[in-house]
Amino acid sequence: MVRVKSRYLLCEINVSDRRDLLKLDDRAVSGTVKAAVARTHGDYGAALCSIRFCVKYLNAHTGIVFLRFPKGCYKLLWSALPFITSIECCGRIIPCFFNCLHVGGTIRTCQKFLIRYNTRQLHRMLPKCKNEEEKRQIQKAILSCSLTGGGDEALEDELESEEEDGE
Amino acid sequence: MPNHITAGAFARARAAEVSAMLKAATQTMGSSHVFQALPKHMRRRATSHNTKRLPRRLRDVANRMKRKSLLAGLKKKKEPVKSKSRKARRRHGNLLMEFNRRQRKNIWLETHIWHAKRFHMVKKWGYCLGVRPTYKCYRPCYRAMSSHCLLQDLSYYCCIELKGEEDKLLAALTQLTCKEAGMSNFRDLRGRAFCGLKKKKKEPVKSKRDGTRLPTSPVTWRSSSTGLVINDLTMEIIRYRLIGPQSHSVLAETLEAATVCDELKSSPLWWPEHCKDRSNMKLHQQQTDVFNVLKGIYSTGELPPGTVLGLTVDDPRLTLPRQKVKAAPCVNQDQGDEEKRNQLMLQGVPLQCCQSFLWERSVRENVTDNKISEQELNRMRSELLVPGSRLGPGPQQGRVPVLLVHQPGKQVGDELGSWGAGWDLLLPKGWGMAFWVPLVYRGVRVAGLHMSLKHSQNKAAPHFPHDYPDCPAGSRFQEEQEAEFLDTFRRHPPAKRTNYIKHGCLAPFRCPWQQLAEEWELLATDGGADRKGDGQTQMTRKSHEVVEEVTSQQNVAAASPPSCFTVLRNRRSLRLLSSWCRPPTCRRQRWGRGAAAAALPLSDSAVTSFHAAHKMSVVWVRLTLLSKGKPEAHAMLCVPTAEDLKLFGKSPESCGPQEPPHKDHYKSRINRKKKSAKTATPSQESDHQTASTDLHSPSDLILGLWPDPLPSVASHCSRVTLGWVTQGDFSLSVGRGEALGFVSVSGLLHTLLKQPPELRGTLLLRNPASLHYRFVRVNIDV
Repeated sequence: MVRVKSRYLLCEINVSDRRDLLKLDDRAVSGTVKAAVARTHGDYGAALCSIRFCVKYLNAHTGIVFLRFPKGCYKLLWSALPFITSIECCGRIIPCFFNCLHVGGTIRTCQKFLIRYNTRQLHRMLPKCKNEEEKRQIQKAILSCSLTGGGDEALEDELESEEEDGE
Repeated sequence: MPNHITAGAFARARAAEVSAMLKAATQTMGSSHVFQALPKHMRRRATSHNTKRLPRRLRDVANRMKRKSLLAGLKKKKEPVKSKSRKARRRHGNLLMEFNRRQRKNIWLETHIWHAKRFHMVKKWGYCLGVRPTYKCYRPCYRAMSSHCLLQDLSYYCCIELKGEEDKLLAALTQLTCKEAGMSNFRDLRGRAFCGLKKKKKEPVKSKRDGTRLPTSPVTWRSSSTGLVINDLTMEIIRYRLIGPQSHSVLAETLEAATVCDELKSSPLWWPEHCKDRSNMKLHQQQTDVFNVLKGIYSTGELPPGTVLGLTVDDPRLTLPRQKVKAAPCVNQDQGDEEKRNQLMLQGVPLQCCQSFLWERSVRENVTDNKISEQELNRMRSELLVPGSRLGPGPQQGRVPVLLVHQPGKQVGDELGSWGAGWDLLLPKGWGMAFWVPLVYRGVRVAGLHMSLKHSQNKAAPHFPHDYPDCPAGSRFQEEQEAEFLDTFRRHPPAKRTNYIKHGCLAPFRCPWQQLAEEWELLATDGGADRKGDGQTQMTRKSHEVVEEVTSQQNVAAASPPSCFTVLRNRRSLRLLSSWCRPPTCRRQRWGRGAAAAALPLSDSAVTSFHAAHKMSVVWVRLTLLSKGKPEAHAMLCVPTAEDLKLFGKSPESCGPQEPPHKDHYKSRINRKKKSAKTATPSQESDHQTASTDLHSPSDLILGLWPDPLPSVASHCSRVTLGWVTQGDFSLSVGRGEALGFVSVSGLLHTLLKQPPELRGTLLLRNPASLHYRFVRVNIDV
């Protein structure tokens, strides 16, 4: 059987207000994306979006989201993402924009990219620290993510519940 | 919740995410299927049943899965617990113990395992011996005997050592032998030559192998009167026989004279102690010189008979070639050695060189105990710098004292002199395989008991148990042979058997010599009164004037009639008889042998005096078929009638006369018995039995054989019987059929007198299953 291929888009949701980030929900995000695609590409776009589109992973603390699109039409649907200006969730409208970082064929490649991206970010932050405590925290963070499988377990559990694995 | 993000919070969040990602990325996907864990380019369809296609880290898991699935499939069937078969249960834990247990009944020679892999084995005389190889090799063995070399393991020969002073020894031995009989009355007794060569006190004498060796006899006997000590050295000395004209080159290539070692301190091994003694070293040097000269002679038959050479040799395993090479004679002929070679051929080995340290028990034991094992030798070979090069002679170990005894070939007769000459190699025990394998690697052919029979046949010499009917072992052998033949005969269905009664053959399975000798005594004495006629006389009266004479035999004749028959062995009488057997116009015997015997011509008086001297005796003869025919064992030798001789004289290639078929009276009796057994009541049967004048009960009768007691053996057929053939075959050395057997002396003399001189010595031979007579020439080889 010929393989069914998808594309996974690694996006970062940038919000102006930090507190609103935690309110994000994967259903809200997927609704927003569908509406945006429908507005941009009409019925045809809406139909394409309905086949194999879903939000695979959402990290409310960092605003990272994995979106899955079918391979044949991901470019089209990707082009609709910059037109998203706000997300509506539980009656609130959160102004934001999507920043696409990486396109991968599997979730795993996106995960690998994310690891590299985050470590690079942390390394970039280190010289810009203003005080000692921050520096120490960043160093600790860098150390913890260089070890495989290390890190805060409580935080992991919380984050894992938002992950959706499986191909 | 603060509005702005701090670096620390940011870092923490990011770090947490990274670790979560790492964990997710490195863990295998939800499916724990082992086949999915392989990269795509290594996945194969066959791994479901052939787990070896998987890398080792996954193999265990795959095996477990396979077993689970198999069990799931087979859950319904119950697998029975398989116990080992009786054979598997009784299999050895300890191979050596198993071999020793098997050897309790029949002793194994040292080369037994080598033989058992390649030969058909037979259990004989308390030993397990190889009879013939499993591959077809009759003609190659004959070719090896006549042109190259044949090897046999004769370690089953009993070896008896007699120790004492020389004159006492000779006196004791003369009781057993007789001067007139010549050198060998016992087989292999090299009495004369051997005694002459050795002047030392120890005198090794080998006697014939005797199947009747008592198991309870002690190993050493001591004589109180003469001070002789007899030691039984059976299985202490190993004996290999090499037959053939190239046996000396085989020995020369296999053996190398021991290298002298200079060792100042004393050692437990025998050779260094030995080397210190000057006289020993001188002797060793002489022996080595003789051995080196031996390499250059052309054929083994050229040495004088009875040569003995003692030698000390290196371990022959050290110079073992990697592949079998055929030992070739040494082509390099030096002028200087020519002189020495001639001396060797004419005079033999010098007297003192026949000493060997093989006879000293301490030396033998030392050598056997200090033998380098095969494992050790292989380890030494593996440690060589250049693989395949020769191992050095090594330390003081590995010097073996051996004895080389020359065997003369055919010594008697005019044709094929020294055919089948060879050497006997005597070794201490334990060194059997160490010498056997290097000898085999020099391209000899190995033969068993069958070839020793053929060797004696070609040499026209009597072979021990078959052709000695006058000694107890010989008669026992004949009985055993008769039982075997009878058994084979009975196993055939009656319609497929040859009917010996109809062929007129009274004794197809054994030769009744005693009866023949007695009958010929009577015939001769009766025939003296009536010389004319066709030789068939009636036995009307028995003669009681049988005068016994003790001829040159260890068997003492009985004092009362009938006396035992004997075999004529007196040399002078044999020469006389031999000269009478050939036509007078034939070329003379070689002047070297018995020239004086030709002086006495054949006449009535000479015959009578000869006959008076040797009554009741038979003589060993060799018969050559003149045209066609292959003689068999127990063929009859008969006297040709005057008409037969006339026919032969006219055309020598004519076929011989035919015997008219006899009538089988016993057949009807057997049939009657069968019929009566089927139909009659017991009363009728007894009537039938009493009615017939048959002396034998019908159950004794075997269809096709004469029942005992036999009627007159001599005059049963149309031609008078003189004797029988004990061994007969197509002879490859001569190119026609040859037979060896015994004839009655009185009968032979009687016949020779009546034959015309130019056809003297012509007899008739008839196979037991044939009616056709063939003309043969009789020879007595002396």
